[in-house]
Amino acid sequence: MRWLGAALVVVAAATMIAGVADLPVHGTPDAPIHRHVGAHYLEHGVAETGMRNMVTAVLLVYRGFDTFLEVVVIFTALVAVLALPRGAAESGPARVVSTAGSTGATASDTDAVGTQRADVPVSPVVFFVVRLIAPFIAIFALASLYRGHITPGGGFQSAAIFGALFIALALVFGRERVARLVPVPARVWLQAVGPVLFALVAFVGWCLTGAFLGYPAEAAAHAVREAMVVTLEVGIAVGGAVILAQLFMVMEG
Amino acid sequence: MSDVFDAVMLLLLISIAVTVVRATDLLAAVVKFALYSLVLCLVWQHRGAPDVAMTEAAVGAGVTSVLFVLTIAKTTRSEKP
Amino acid sequence: MVLFGLDLDYAACVVLFCLGLYMLVAKSNLLKKVLGLNVMETAVFAFIVTAGMVEGGDPPTLGSGTSPPYASPIPHAMVLTGIVVAVSVTAVALALIAQIHAHYGTIEVDELKELP
Repeated sequence: MRWLGAALVVVAAATMIAGVADLPVHGTPDAPIHRHVGAHYLEHGVAETGMRNMVTAVLLVYRGFDTFLEVVVIFTALVAVLALPRGAAESGPARVVSTAGSTGATASDTDAVGTQRADVPVSPVVFFVVRLIAPFIAIFALASLYRGHITPGGGFQSAAIFGALFIALALVFGRERVARLVPVPARVWLQAVGPVLFALVAFVGWCLTGAFLGYPAEAAAHAVREAMVVTLEVGIAVGGAVILAQLFMVMEG
Repeated sequence: MSDVFDAVMLLLLISIAVTVVRATDLLAAVVKFALYSLVLCLVWQHRGAPDVAMTEAAVGAGVTSVLFVLTIAKTTRSEKP
Repeated sequence: MVLFGLDLDYAACVVLFCLGLYMLVAKSNLLKKVLGLNVMETAVFAFIVTAGMVEGGDPPTLGSGTSPPYASPIPHAMVLTGIVVAVSVTAVALALIAQIHAHYGTIEVDELKELP
């Protein structure tokens, strides 16, 4: 099996390198990739969308359907992971479970009879550092969401940073304390806020312009465009962050 | 100079990927994968893609590696050679 | 950088893709297979972004002190969507692997094939 795999890989590599050899050299400003649609977006993007970050403009305005379906994809992944049966890991080895520092409240649960789980306490260095920089990470995520249409940043970036922040806090402080940040009834709706807000904004766009997820093109309607874009970015950020955090919670417990 | 940086980063990526292939301890493989993700984030920044770099840094080292470690905690730690 | 008529950056992406493909095909541990899938996905993203870059160019955020030539923004958008899809696939695959281990006690494909 191993030799078959190695042979397949060598054949695939040779084929792909032969195919790649015909491509124009990367990095030149007059390559074909910079000429057609990309050049149009870079020239007229600021006037047409009102945003200066062209990547966010492409994501939300020019290729909005891709982003819509991608939000649906990550929501579907969460549904798939939640749909799997969640039995207790009866034969798991020693799990690393975080205990909340010196407060005495441990995050380990004592329900599984007969399993030996070692509660490895969190190192005080990790505890201190996470407590110190968590607010700054949250501010940075909010800033990249708020300024995502001017500077590098935007919906996905702040979703990933918020999600990683949730995971770091849950690893250090224990999942119960972090799970209380988002109460369960709100959590169910917050997970779906990505696709829901996208569908809402797309419907509004349809009412305004006759095209699903269409943006009004007059220069006077730029406030409406900005409102739609901000709603979409908030939807992506909040939905993505809650989905990533929930994926972590489901896979841990 | 940026050519040399480019070449060094890509060589580093390939060698880290080779160590991921050869690791039998799964936890070591996941840690090396997080390192791969970090070097990839630097490559994105060098290519003029700061959005992609931010997302890759947060997702690769933050979310994906943690999910792998949680799965290793529930299953086995080493691969049968 | 071009060497012997071969674009080295593209070739490095191809090599990474093939390393991931080898892990996916030839390793029998399910977790290694998922790691290989992730390496393949990142190699494809590297290829796409490298195709859209400009040597010494600026990121495509207009007006924040950047000047033309800009890197093309469309590959960046595709790769962002791709990263989220990669996370989704990895999460579902890892949840399935945990379930397989809870039921059968092993995550090696060779041993799973022997089961009745």
